Amino acid sequence: MRRSRRIVVTLSLASIAILVAVTPAPAQTPKYGGHLNLMQREDLPQGFAVHETSTIATSFPSMPCFNNLVVFDQTKRAETVDNLVGELAEKWSWQDNYRNLVFLLRKNVKWHDGQPFSSKDVKFTFDMLREAPDAPAKLRINPRKDWYSNVEAVEAPDANTVVFRLKRPQPGLLVMLASGYTPIYAAHVNPASYRTGCIGTGPFKMKEWRKGEFVDYVKNPDYFMKGRPYLDSLRYVVIKERGTRTAALQAGQLDVSFPGETTKTAAEQLKKAVPGLVIMPVGTAVNDNVIINTKKPPFDNPKLRLAVSYAIDRRALITAVHQGGAVPGASQPPRPYGVWGLLEKDLLSLPGYGKPQDMKAQARKLLAEAGITAQNPLRVEMSTRAIAMYVDLASFVINELKQVAIEATLKQVETAQWHPMATRGEFQIGANLTGLGVDEPDANFNENYACGSPRNYSQYCSEEVMKLIEQQSQELNPQKRMQLVSTLQKKVEADAARPVLDWRLDYFTMWPYVKGLVPQDNIYNFGRMADVWRDK
Amino acid sequence: MKTYIAQRLGVGALTLFGMSIVIFGMLRLAPGDIVDILFATGGYVNPSERAAIEKELGLDRPVTVQYVDWVRQIFSGDLGKSYRYDLPAWEIIRPLIPVTLELAALSLIVSVALGVPLGVISAVRQDTTLDYALRVFSLAGLSMPSFWLGMVIILGLVAWFGWIPPVTYVSPSENLPLHMVQFALPALAVGYRSSALIMRITRSSLLEVMREDYIRTARAKGQSGRVVIWRHALQNAILPVVTVIGIEFAFLIGGLVVTETVFNMPGVARFLVEAILWRDYPIVQNLVMFIAIVVILSNLIVDMLYGFLDPRVRYGH
Repeated sequence: MRRSRRIVVTLSLASIAILVAVTPAPAQTPKYGGHLNLMQREDLPQGFAVHETSTIATSFPSMPCFNNLVVFDQTKRAETVDNLVGELAEKWSWQDNYRNLVFLLRKNVKWHDGQPFSSKDVKFTFDMLREAPDAPAKLRINPRKDWYSNVEAVEAPDANTVVFRLKRPQPGLLVMLASGYTPIYAAHVNPASYRTGCIGTGPFKMKEWRKGEFVDYVKNPDYFMKGRPYLDSLRYVVIKERGTRTAALQAGQLDVSFPGETTKTAAEQLKKAVPGLVIMPVGTAVNDNVIINTKKPPFDNPKLRLAVSYAIDRRALITAVHQGGAVPGASQPPRPYGVWGLLEKDLLSLPGYGKPQDMKAQARKLLAEAGITAQNPLRVEMSTRAIAMYVDLASFVINELKQVAIEATLKQVETAQWHPMATRGEFQIGANLTGLGVDEPDANFNENYACGSPRNYSQYCSEEVMKLIEQQSQELNPQKRMQLVSTLQKKVEADAARPVLDWRLDYFTMWPYVKGLVPQDNIYNFGRMADVWRDK
Repeated sequence: MKTYIAQRLGVGALTLFGMSIVIFGMLRLAPGDIVDILFATGGYVNPSERAAIEKELGLDRPVTVQYVDWVRQIFSGDLGKSYRYDLPAWEIIRPLIPVTLELAALSLIVSVALGVPLGVISAVRQDTTLDYALRVFSLAGLSMPSFWLGMVIILGLVAWFGWIPPVTYVSPSENLPLHMVQFALPALAVGYRSSALIMRITRSSLLEVMREDYIRTARAKGQSGRVVIWRHALQNAILPVVTVIGIEFAFLIGGLVVTETVFNMPGVARFLVEAILWRDYPIVQNLVMFIAIVVILSNLIVDMLYGFLDPRVRYGH
């Protein structure tokens, strides 16, 4: 009797415990005030000139200063078209069968210097980005010009309306406008001045940028979203040394880590040291890949390129180099971290994703057809940036290639030389990292696989791929577009255009009192900080 | 004396002239320039845009013209503009100098405060257990790179106390105690290594002097051991130590790179490395010239000190 009563009591307690665990915590009321210190891996390479860079070191600390027309909902993790919300645009609509994109802008929005925001600023920004013949300003470096190649004109019929006229339908354009790389610049400010300061419409005003030390922001009292931001101030603290960055986070001198900073191993160590830290595994939209020069021997031979792709065991790479902190995927971020990722069955059919011994055998067979055997190995030079994360990747790839009779020697290239070398095609094969500014095939394929693109380092050029890029771009039926993108991904992997090896994960870390900061599956698109508050 | 100083300053000026050519030439010999780095942040290269930026920064002009321009700017008190930050170089360099000077001075104080007394004790107690222990202590200091020691200090502090010194610079006017805490640990890490060197020089120099006849005479005259060591022996043994101190100070001005990085201090050395990586020529050239000036001046000061410390040393004859 007593025993059964004990069982009942135990079960009741267990039920209560389960109930408590599964019941969602009541939404907390945000508190106003306070300050946050955020980690910054290096000084801002070109200040706040987001349109002149492609680096998280610029985009992340610039996010609080700016606004886009639309943005991915900063309170949600997934970056999908359903999660788009208006920022400077109050409403938008596609017209003329997706050939015109019309934005109705918010009224009473002010720049940080007090000037009113209007459709002129939007037109100014996008005319500058697409290098329109009559653009009033020019960027000295314009890395995302290709994103807007389908925009025929940007019109501002009145102060609160902007119309993007497209050459052909392009549903993906809206998603590209939500990237952290697409803020609106002020028309009355010289774009060059963003290299030294920031005039935006965002929730925080830049107060001070002490070079090499920190960027300070204060709350924008005139922010158009009533009741935001919650915090009074922000500081992005520049710490170059990784060990010091981690120690500062652990010691509470930093409240939030840097996107893409925390590896799985580092996260485990941090959690062990400070169990209270909040660690959120998310996608980064950054992949490890191999660039193979298709214009120079020996890799002008497609069979040899394919052999390279077959030879590299993706899962072993994830285990050995990332200790499990990455996921396999093709040229678009894999699901659930991305929208367009291939299905598992499709992925398994691609070179390098099957059973390692079968894949290596296939690589050896292809090489043997070109007369390359263990007795007559292929000797090549593997180039990579002289940065630890690149060198680790290259070393792994070299070891994999060695197993199929490709003997690669490592050539470390300094950052100053890496992109000129890659763009000019002065390499045979290279280990590379590529980040996607947004999970949108138009941006990715035009940048990295289109004929003649300066970022298509492999100089791969396929008429079929170009047609597919165009076709998927204007496809209005989402299912059909998904199929086309899937075909495109399989095609570029089957051609070993730029074999993708894995997609890195981030274990975004912050202290539990930081509320409302939701890391997204793309490091470049979150961090506006308007909804973030401090529960302390 | 005045003639000697004038001569030394003249030689110093010639050295600086030579240095300017070396710095200027070496920087241009390094592959890549700021334009490559700017494009690296964009992830691509466009030849026509590249040429436009080169022109904007004046990098398309002949190297000799660029050199003459730089020298002319120095003489007119204008150090040029940072390519990276698009700001006057002096505006960027100025706040870095006090941080490095203070850190170097504090490190030197630590090293002298530790090194000289321990060197004396080690020499006086030659071949005793204490001597061996101090020699091991100094050898450990020489063997441990200061950046490694710095990192161990930081990791130890965070592991045991969940605390590390501030990672953003705290000025003395803002909060003096916190400022001192911030500088104390890097100064200890760097000072320990330097103290090891000073201790070993002090010990060997003192041992040599203590074998001199005049020391025996002083002892024979009944002077106490303390007076013999501190007044007679050390005064004569200190010259090589002063030389080392001067060299160490000059070395510290440019050699604190990793310590400044580990402790996240906004000093000259850390910024210099960053500027080199960015090929920010105006910043690199002027910072290296600053370091060269410090080296020349500290050597001159050390040589001047010889005259005060040892009456036998006379200048200008």
